[in-house]
Amino acid sequence: MTARRDEILEIIRDTRSLPTLPGVVNKLQALSENRKSTIEEMARLVSSDQILCARVLRLVNSPSYGFYRVSTITNALILLGVNVIKSLALSSSIFEIMEKSILGLWEHSLGAGVAANVIARRLKLPEVEEISTAALLHDIGKVIIKEKCPGDFEQVESLMKARDVTMLEAEREVLGTDHAEVGEWLVRSWYLPDKLSEPVACHHDVARAEAHQVKTAVVHLADVLVKASGFGFSGDEFVPRIQPVAWERLQMTDADLAAIVEELEDKLVEAKNFSLEIQSADDGTA
Amino acid sequence: MQTIPIALAAPDMVLAREVRRADNPLGPPICGKGTELSESLIERLKNLGVKSLTVEGCPVEMEGMKGLDELLADLDRRFCKVADVPLMQKLKELHRLQIVRNSGGCP
Repeated sequence: MTARRDEILEIIRDTRSLPTLPGVVNKLQALSENRKSTIEEMARLVSSDQILCARVLRLVNSPSYGFYRVSTITNALILLGVNVIKSLALSSSIFEIMEKSILGLWEHSLGAGVAANVIARRLKLPEVEEISTAALLHDIGKVIIKEKCPGDFEQVESLMKARDVTMLEAEREVLGTDHAEVGEWLVRSWYLPDKLSEPVACHHDVARAEAHQVKTAVVHLADVLVKASGFGFSGDEFVPRIQPVAWERLQMTDADLAAIVEELEDKLVEAKNFSLEIQSADDGTA
Repeated sequence: MQTIPIALAAPDMVLAREVRRADNPLGPPICGKGTELSESLIERLKNLGVKSLTVEGCPVEMEGMKGLDELLADLDRRFCKVADVPLMQKLKELHRLQIVRNSGGCP
């Protein structure tokens, strides 16, 4: 079983086998590590690749962030920060796969981003955009498993059907790992900061998070709330329990929960519209 | 009442909730509750960036639209693994109330 886990880790390490990352993203990585580079330089770089630029703007304008009509990369960089734009540029090709082939998971991720945004604003947490981004990315490991190990993915699905277990349990049994760990490997291989990789890695085990427990707790709660509302489809329909440590870490009250669920209902209608718009736009160009 | 994407709005539908600007959701309403929609009004709302409307009754048969019983059965199934957790039952109750409230007017 651990052999399979190592094989998957190898697949992730071999960056050539991953959904293509344009050269621009590597340059962006270099620019963001250089303290002397400016927002303008980065914006010019992202804008030089029209397709990447469009993909990033599409994600920035998704309801997960609650901004509307961000029309330039410069504005996006200023509003959301370099880290967020970098991770959106890195993951945009994976979201492209989701939008086309795994619509339910794309809607689940979008919904989790929206929920994380609602929770973070309600609790007046700092770095709302990073939290939303981590939530958008939280199930990215599932895409990799499905795309890179289709045989294993089928086994996971048949196991879920046969025994009525959650996707997480089925993954652990078939692969010896799970989508949270695979997602962590992927996000780390992109050198994204811990505040994004830790919530991805620990969204099913909040107690394991070290440096970013609050962000991890929000992503965990967002995942639970989106599943509770029945929006999108993450692989199985079972709502996991809210982990007590997450509840305590966020100092949530029942009143907070009620207010968040109420607000989320409206926001998810927006998210559905956004998803429909993207699908119809893609149909139009296809 | 039913919340629909603006693309599905049609003349003669009646607003069940006031409409606010998408870029200023806390600002004053731009269209009051009870307003009857017309082609030109829908066009203007679209131009203002409004994405969804809540209208009276249940005028749009959306794909995958389910009846109340079906929605509640889905809810039970989603929460079946956490039936013994009090907090999760509270969350479930919030959703049950939401589903029942939204189905008012939709058979």
